[in-house]
Amino acid sequence: MALRHTSLRNFCLLLRSQPHSRSTSTSTPRSSVSPIELSHFSALASSWWEPHGSSRLLHLMNPLRHEFIASCLTSHPTASKHNTKSLRYLDVGCGGGIFTESAARLPSTAKVVGIEPSREVINVARAHACQDSMLLEPGRLEYKHACIEDLALPQKVEEQFDVLSLFEVLEHIEKPAPFLAKCLPFVKPGGWLVLSTIARTWTSWVTTKLVAEDLLRIVPRGTHDWGQYVNERELRGWFGKQDGWGRDGCLRTMGVVYVPGLGWRMVERGESWGNYFFGVRKD
Amino acid sequence: MHVWDALSSESKIDFSAGENGRKNTSAIAYMTENPNLTRALLARLESLEPISSFENAKVTSIDLGPPQDSPGTLNLSSYPHVTTSSSTSPLVARLLIGADGINSPVRTFAHIPTRGWDYDRHGVVATVRLASRGGSHSQIEEAPKVQDNVTAYQRFLPSGPIALLALPGDYASLVWSTTPEQAARLKGLDPADFAAMVNAAFRLSVVDVDYMSKMPSGQVDELAWRLQATDVPREDETKYPRIIESVQEGSVASFPLRMRQADQYVGERVALVGDAAHTIHPLAGQGLNMGLADVASLVRAIEYSVSHGGDIGVQGNLEAYESEMWMKNNRMLGVVDKLHKLYGVSWWPVVGLRSLGLGTVDKFNGLKGWMMSQAGG
Repeated sequence: MALRHTSLRNFCLLLRSQPHSRSTSTSTPRSSVSPIELSHFSALASSWWEPHGSSRLLHLMNPLRHEFIASCLTSHPTASKHNTKSLRYLDVGCGGGIFTESAARLPSTAKVVGIEPSREVINVARAHACQDSMLLEPGRLEYKHACIEDLALPQKVEEQFDVLSLFEVLEHIEKPAPFLAKCLPFVKPGGWLVLSTIARTWTSWVTTKLVAEDLLRIVPRGTHDWGQYVNERELRGWFGKQDGWGRDGCLRTMGVVYVPGLGWRMVERGESWGNYFFGVRKD
Repeated sequence: MHVWDALSSESKIDFSAGENGRKNTSAIAYMTENPNLTRALLARLESLEPISSFENAKVTSIDLGPPQDSPGTLNLSSYPHVTTSSSTSPLVARLLIGADGINSPVRTFAHIPTRGWDYDRHGVVATVRLASRGGSHSQIEEAPKVQDNVTAYQRFLPSGPIALLALPGDYASLVWSTTPEQAARLKGLDPADFAAMVNAAFRLSVVDVDYMSKMPSGQVDELAWRLQATDVPREDETKYPRIIESVQEGSVASFPLRMRQADQYVGERVALVGDAAHTIHPLAGQGLNMGLADVASLVRAIEYSVSHGGDIGVQGNLEAYESEMWMKNNRMLGVVDKLHKLYGVSWWPVVGLRSLGLGTVDKFNGLKGWMMSQAGG
């Protein structure tokens, strides 16, 4: 079990938004991502889509992200069925595009924008999308080498998004609160901010710090900053202070656990164990 | 369904609908001829626009697409390109499903190895017409017609099982697994002698059947003569199939019996179903059922993938099909293979033990019900 968790942590890391080093690139966008030395992740960009590569477990987790989003979208009393091509997605820290591509394929999707601060990784995403004619349809999927603060603030509702996703991003942001605040204006009224991250608990300390970095050394020492993990209670508290978010009980959480032999399972009230989903609706 | 052992007259097993605990079941299983299935499938395809089908076309080659390096343009280098005899440009497949039989070209394209062995047996198949029970038409009129031809019969001869499976009306489907030499001799007989040979195989002793099968012709008279000397219990007439009156012209065919299992059922943009994935000895009649179950499972995997934004050709999205069916099919292949081997033995201690086993199973309705639910699919 510990081993599984360890490997999983490693995989989560690989899918991180890439903090960039200023010395290596002058064109890298201004970033809200913590400037720790993680440049070796860019070298792993090419393995993003390998079927049995290191990101296999996150490929397997991807369907659950859609199930969680679907449960969010339908939870509000006024929610309508999204059968037609109507939903707009903004995938922040999209990495190689695992979630981004899948969102773009859904029949209910009008447009998906994926942004990613690492040039190597966004190029992997762009190249991979070329393997599917559906994703090349004009207007369906757009990748930008950018951070959230590089995007122009939406001036009207049509420029906002129904779903803003932050999958496995938050735990690598040094100051999550200002980062989240920058994301909020991009969500349409009635739209959802959806994220997945890891809770800061003794279990995640054992698996990601002690085992992964110190004992098995799957991850180089100092890669993780356990102190940057964000708990569900903290997110709940922060959004509770934001005006116009999460009314009518539209703040949802769900634990997600990898069970060896069975795959990923959503576990209600499992948000304090490790990985969890979090979704909040803009009123 | 009535199954018995040619080397041990007391050893038999009966399966009846209703024993399997499913109250509303009126049958253990149904038989249908291939043209009926094909017609139904074609009709269904026609109702699903827009689907292109290519008639009288042969696949001439399957290759990966050409490498594509220029950024921003469609890259189909991972897609199978199928060239057919009827089209000038190749068909590019997001997912190529190999339902193309034991020598599957799709499987060869995907470099998926198979494992297994040949049985040194051939399956002789034919569609036959049954005479009325006891030769008297008046008896038939007394009994409801629908009840008359609903039982399947299977007798285990040392060379392999012979089975007669009810079809609508007075017809039945014959599957006789036997040595390649005997299969060739059977196919060479004239229709009346062929029918006599089948009747003999269900009624006469193993020695008689062996002797008759080696005759170049004259099985009709030989059977009539030998039946006089054989004690077929009159009161137990329903324990044998009805006498075969004639053989449908052109329906006699044979094929080699094999056991195969592909190492994988899925690859990148490839899925194998039916005989392309696994081939089984026909003694339990499971080949078609397994293929249909494959398709149902593959459809579930595809539906899940589509509803969650997956690319249906990506191997990871097809793995649910493989993990659901591979082990299940492997078990069935193993059980049927062991049955074939068990009934291929003539040594008396083995015959005695298998009779004891079959007789024991016959007394447990719950166990038989479970077996029927497995075999009925």
